[in-house]
This record gives sequence, structure tokens and C-alpha cells, in this order.
Amino acid sequence: MRKKKAFRSLALLMALCMIVASFVGCSPKETPLTIWVGVESVDFYTAKMAEYVENYKVKTGKAFPYLISVQGVDTGSAAAKVLDDLDAGADIFTIAHDNLGKLTAGASAIAPIRSEALLAQINADNPETFLNVIDMSVQGTKYTFGVPYIAQSLVLMYNKKYLTEEDVKTWEGILAVAKKNNKQSVSLMGADGFNNSFLTLAINESTGKMPAIIYEGGETDNCLFTSDETVAIMQWGQRFFTDKNGGKMPTDSGWEIELRDEVSLSLIGGAWKFNAAKAALGDNLGIAVLPSFTLTAEDVKGTNIKAGTVYRSGSFTDCKVFVMKKGSNKAEYLEDILLFLSSKEVQEQSFIECANLPAYKNAATEFSSMQADNLETVLAAKQLEMFNYGIPQPFGFSTTLNFYYYSKGAPDLIREILENKESLFGTTDAIRTQLKSIENIWKTGER
Amino acid sequence: MDKNNNGIARFLKKISKPFIRFYNRFMDGSLGTKMSHFVMGSGNVYHGQIIKGLIYFTIQAGYALFMITCPKVNNTPLGYKAFINLITLGTEEGDIFTPADNSMLMLLFGVVTIGITLMYLFAYNSNIKSSYKADQDIKNYGKVTSFKQDAKEMLGNRFYITMLTPAALGAVVFTLLPTIFMILISFTNYDKEHQAGLKLFDWVGFNNFTAFFTNPTGEIAARFLPVLAWTLIWAFFATFLNYYGGILLALLINRKGLKGKKIFRAIFVLTIAIPQFVSLLAMRNLIGEYGPMQKILMDIGILSEPMSFLANATNVWTARIAIILINLWVGIPYSMLLASGAIMNIPESLYEAARIDGAKKFTILRKITMPYIVFITTPYLISSFVGNITSFNIIYLLTNGNPKVTGGYIAGGTDLLVTWLYKLTIDEQQYNLGAVIGILTFLITSIVTLVTYRRSKSYKEEDAFQ
Repeated sequence: MRKKKAFRSLALLMALCMIVASFVGCSPKETPLTIWVGVESVDFYTAKMAEYVENYKVKTGKAFPYLISVQGVDTGSAAAKVLDDLDAGADIFTIAHDNLGKLTAGASAIAPIRSEALLAQINADNPETFLNVIDMSVQGTKYTFGVPYIAQSLVLMYNKKYLTEEDVKTWEGILAVAKKNNKQSVSLMGADGFNNSFLTLAINESTGKMPAIIYEGGETDNCLFTSDETVAIMQWGQRFFTDKNGGKMPTDSGWEIELRDEVSLSLIGGAWKFNAAKAALGDNLGIAVLPSFTLTAEDVKGTNIKAGTVYRSGSFTDCKVFVMKKGSNKAEYLEDILLFLSSKEVQEQSFIECANLPAYKNAATEFSSMQADNLETVLAAKQLEMFNYGIPQPFGFSTTLNFYYYSKGAPDLIREILENKESLFGTTDAIRTQLKSIENIWKTGER
Repeated sequence: MDKNNNGIARFLKKISKPFIRFYNRFMDGSLGTKMSHFVMGSGNVYHGQIIKGLIYFTIQAGYALFMITCPKVNNTPLGYKAFINLITLGTEEGDIFTPADNSMLMLLFGVVTIGITLMYLFAYNSNIKSSYKADQDIKNYGKVTSFKQDAKEMLGNRFYITMLTPAALGAVVFTLLPTIFMILISFTNYDKEHQAGLKLFDWVGFNNFTAFFTNPTGEIAARFLPVLAWTLIWAFFATFLNYYGGILLALLINRKGLKGKKIFRAIFVLTIAIPQFVSLLAMRNLIGEYGPMQKILMDIGILSEPMSFLANATNVWTARIAIILINLWVGIPYSMLLASGAIMNIPESLYEAARIDGAKKFTILRKITMPYIVFITTPYLISSFVGNITSFNIIYLLTNGNPKVTGGYIAGGTDLLVTWLYKLTIDEQQYNLGAVIGILTFLITSIVTLVTYRRSKSYKEEDAFQ
């Protein structure tokens, strides 16, 4: 009886072992080639990829081996999404160029570009400023990681009811109209480094040089923010922001209400605020490049800069880039797709259909679509014009220093100078000391 | 001394009990029970409980397969390798062409494998107990229970186990494991410099905890105490102002002789019916520099120029006070409803007796109404305090933690621990520091809850008002 029981047990256990073993070794399903683009461009890039697949068949005589899935993501958070789950990232995805540092830290989450054809196209089609920010060093070696395809910069959005095209050429012109109507000249979207770049990155009109130096050549130490020119620009900014009709720091009500209620006559904003500005001003919305300003004797006091020196407001001129996930099992197809998606023809169509500002360096002159006369085209043209007065955000290569720029309150230090509360920054020495703190934060993360 | 020794002996006896029982079952058990120590389910099969035996065996085979084959998810192995990886947190540093080991997944899978192993051990022990019980059944009744009978039992006398098992499993999977994962992260250097899959992170002991109190550069330590202090101040005022405001409102509405009580109650309850974020954003716009409230204040001469009360306030306390006041708008109706319920349930005889004894209105309020309300609503008061410590919506929507403060380590003047945690983890990927804040918040809320509740009358005199 006992033997019988033991035999029965053994037989059953063996049968079960066989069943369990049969479940082992299931192969995973083939996944589609995935591309993440901005939510607003999904339809456009889906159509483009269908076109690419057709062309592929014609070119090679074979069908493209994978299904292609184009998905919309928030461009701002795509890098973080990939870092949260590397394997869940798309084969190709879009990011702002200053996220490249995050993605290439350590062993890098993205693959370098090695196709000569693609590298040649990148070098031929993009402005120098973009080429400088798409190269990153990984474990001591420099690689090109991003393929620029969309650009963006700050412009002036103004109320045509009060300001003419002539007025908006200079901040002094805007200030004069603001004084006449008892309004404020301009609203800022925020007081961070991006939004006060119109002052910090101002360019000397006669020399064409920017006094501020931030990580030039990708060198941490290569920063300068304490020159006489910068001090004089800050003194001009101080005068502008302490004037009751001058610049307006952000409020709880928000710039939309300030524009709509005509509290302010203009806004320094990007294309992503265009719709909100249009809603606030309607047909009175005008677009211009950021104005210039002239230093007065009061502004140059305590510096060796001459009164009457003219500066053009600067801007961070950024780009969005396509990158490839490292370790994608479709790697051999990705660079050819990028060659197509970043071609100037696709960039122009993307501008026509999605109002994406092309990164292509000669877009303003070569793209017939950019010669139109509507507000969207003006917005694009003015942004491209601003590329003569800006630099791409250079903070991407060091995530730590970028973090410290905010955590150590560098933008607030600039704001303190501009607001000059209790006349704490009434002397060039006080301003220079504060600027030195910002320069130190850029260099070391410490004040 | 003897007392201590007795205590240790009792403790040792207690923890050795399961092992002694385990040994006794092996020694006293039948061949089947002995076999079930090695092959799960064999004891049940031995006694003819085939289905039960097969279930146990499947569990063991599945676990063995899981541990030996080490299935990979996103290129990170589970199984026995997960135990090794939990200690090393990865060894492959990767380069531009090959990915680094994903330390975060290794940590997670290590925790998951420990969880699975604990569940397996539980099933293993249950398999021996089951076989031993079958031995005893044969000895006592000459037969074992069938699967059908066991199933019936699970739907009858032991139905509570059937019902509690999914809930307990859910609590383990969705609460306990993530909590353990978070606690473990606080002992690593998982931050933006050590992103999962890009750079290995490692165990750093208590470094993250000491950073909050004794960091040499003082960055986090300097910010932690002010944020903690403001969190407690906020929780105190947000709780008690709402609480007593609600009681006051309830007393006014429930006054005898007041007409239209229902209408008043409905008006105040309307604020609950409107989604909180809508109320908060409306408030933000109302009191904004160019909102209608400021226009009125300027028209009647109270303000000479627009003033920021929230994110752009020049003084941090302006924003803090404004938030506490706005919170009254969304918080008072809740406590008003609760207090109304309590007031309406106070026996009229208590009031009558008090009046006969010559008690005045204020004495009645102090001696009858308030103790009754407080007794009933104490658990609400505690949960409300804890809820306010972890209140996210109000701060996030009204000020996003601003106004900025110098040296804030990204924490603004109105940031609570929980909103700071959000910024550190979501915006800045400082997961290790976020985990420490999570643990500290958990400790604060649990201590507050336990101490206050155990000292409250609601707990001590549970039957008093029945």
C-alpha cells in the first residue's frame, strides 16, 4: 500500500514537471520600431514615416522589416521618461538639446551617430551654435548624439494698439510709449535664467560680441559674468526694472492677464506662448525681435564703458534634436530614418503643417513657405533672426552645475540686482560682487 | 538582573518555538510528512489529497524554476541572481555601446525576489502543516479531509481567510514592497549623477540621513529644519483653524430658532461639491495682483498698488498666511458637516438636566457640547492633521512652493516636506534624498497619529458615549 502510494506520488510529480517545462522557452513578440515626437506633430511624422516606408521599398526592392509606431510625448519630459525606464524608451525620440547631458552621463542612454551621410547632413545644414551643443563626451571621447530638426528662441510679442514697429526697435521707444499711457513696458514669463536672458546675453551691437561667457567650448571654467560691460548692462536693467513704467517681474496674476488688461504693453516669450498671447491681444498682437537698448551716462557709471553704447537683447536660441536609444535592436535602420526626418524638405513641410520652426540654417531665405505674410510666418522669421543674437542653453553638459544654478538661487541673484530693493545694489562694487557669485555658481556650483 | 534574564529567555523561547515545531513535525510525522519537507505536496499526495498536493508541488516547482532560470525583465535577472545583485547593485559599468547594469531594477528585483521567497516559505510551512494535519486526522478519525471539504471549509468557517488573502496580498505587493524599496533607496546614492542604467549606484549607509542633519556643506541640513518647521506650523493651523472654524459654523447653523438651516448648510457644502483645484485656482486669480479682490482693495484705499500674496510675495509669511486663510475656504465645510452631525446627536436630556441645574449657555457649551463634539471627531482631527502634513494640492496649485528663498536647495518658502520631496524626485531625480524625506514624513505622521490617538478620550473611553 505504502509503495503504491509512493509510486502514485512520483508519477504525478513527473507529469507536472513536464507540463511546467513545456511553458519555458516562449519567445518574445516582435516589437514595432517606435518614434517619439512632440504631441502636436504625431500626424505629420506618421505620414512622413509612411512615405519613408514607401521610398524604402522602391530603393531596396524589399519591404521595411518593421512596423513603425509614431507616438506623441511631452518633449520636455521625454528624457526623464527614458531615464526612468531605459528599455521602455522609443528607438528614436525627441528631446531639447540641453537634455543631452542627462542622457549621456555615465555610460550614456543614447547611441552616438556614426553614419557618415547623416553626420555630413548635420554639419552642412545646421548653424554653428547647434553643432556646438550636440557633441558630448562619454568616458573621455567626443561623439555626436543629436540631430537638430526644430529651433526656438525668444521674441517680443507686443500690443499693436499702443506700439508701432518703430517703437519696438528699442526698449527706450517702448518705455516712452508706456510712460505716455501710464502702462508698463514689458512682462516677463518668469524670473529664471531663461527669461532674463534678454539682459544677461545682450550683445554689443558694434562689436557683435556677447560680454557674458558661459561654458564656452564646453569648459566648466570658461565663464565670465563680471566684466564692465555686464555691470553696465545690469545698471541699465536696474534702471529699467525700477522705473514704474519699465519692466514687470512675474506676478501671481500672470502675464496673460497683464497683456489682456493692458497693464503691460509687451511680453518676452517663445513660440510656445504664441497662442496664449494671441488669445490675450487678438488682432493687436505684433511680433518683433527683442529690442536693443542704449547705455546712458548713469548706466556706465563706475565702468570703463562709453555712454551711448548700444546692445541688442539676447536670447537662448535652442533646438530640439532627435536621438537614438542605445542598444536598440533596430539600430541599423535608425540613422537612415533620421537622415530623412531631419532633411530640409521634411523640416519645411513640418513648418507648413505644424508650425515647427526649422533648425535648417538657411530656412529664412531658402524656404518659400517662410516668405508668406501671416503672423505665424512673422513669428518664425523673427525667431530665426534672433539666432543672430543668442546662444543655445549651454547647461546641458553638466547636470550638477545646472542643478546648482537653480538650487543656489542664481536667477534670484540677478533679480535682486534688477529690483535693487533698499538700494542694496546701488554701487558697481555691490553689483560686481553679486555677479561674481553667479559666475562662481556656474563654475563650481558654489557661490 | 533576573528580570532581564527572564525577558531574554522568554524572547528566545518565543523565537525558537516555530523551529521546535518544525523539528517535531519532521520527527513525529509520517513518511509523507517527512517527504513534504523536501518535495512540497508529497505528504498530501501520500495521504490521497491529490489536488492539494499538486497545488503545493506547483508552487515549489514554479519557485525552483523561477530561482534557477532567473527570468530577465528589461535585461535584469530575477531569481537567485537577484539576491546577488541586491548586494552588488550591478557590476557592469557599460560604455558608449553597451548598457550599464540597471542598479534600480536590480534593487527592485532583489526586493521582489525576497517577497516571493517569503511567500514561498509561507507556502512551504503551510504544506508541512497540512501534511501533519492529515497525519493527525488519520490517527484521530481514520480518514483525511477531501479537497471538496477543504474548499467548503474555506467558504465556511475559514471564510475570513479567503476574504483576507487577496487584500493581504494586495497590501504586500502595492504597499509593503514599494515601502521597502523606498527605504532601501534611502541607503543608496541613486540620484541624477547615478541614473538607472547609465551609471551604477551603490550602498552608502546612513549618508543620506546624516546629510539632513549634519551635512558638512549644510545645504540640505540648512533647508530641512525650516521646511519641517513650516510643515508642522502649516499642519497645526490648517487643522485647528479649520476644525474650530467648522465647529463654530456648525454651532451657528444649528442654533435653535435659526431659519433656513438647510439652505445655509447646502451653501457651505457647495464648496465641497466643487473640485478643490477649481476652488484653489479661482482663489489664486481672485487675489492675484490684477484680480478683482485687489481692484476692490485699491478702490477703497486699503492698497495703494497691487501686491503679491502668493508665489511672488516679497515676504514669505505673507504667502504662508494667505495659504492658511485660503485653506479655510476649502477645509471648514468638512468639519462643519462633522460637527453638525455630532451636535444633532447630543441627547436633549443632557441639556435639560444642565439647565435645571442652572448651567449657563457658555457652561453648557464648555461642559456638554464641546466635549461631545471633540470626543466624536478626535479621529477626524488626527487624520486631518496627518493629511495636512502630506497636503500637496494646496501648496502646489497656489504657490508651487514659492516664493523662492535664498539657499533653498530648490525648496521654496511655502514648500512642505511632501512638495519638496516631489521637486527633489520628479524635477531633480534626487531619489535618495526624496526617499529620506518620505521616511521622515512617515515617521512623523505615524508618531503623531499613535501618540495623540492613544492619549485621546476616543481611545481611552471608547464606550463612554454609547
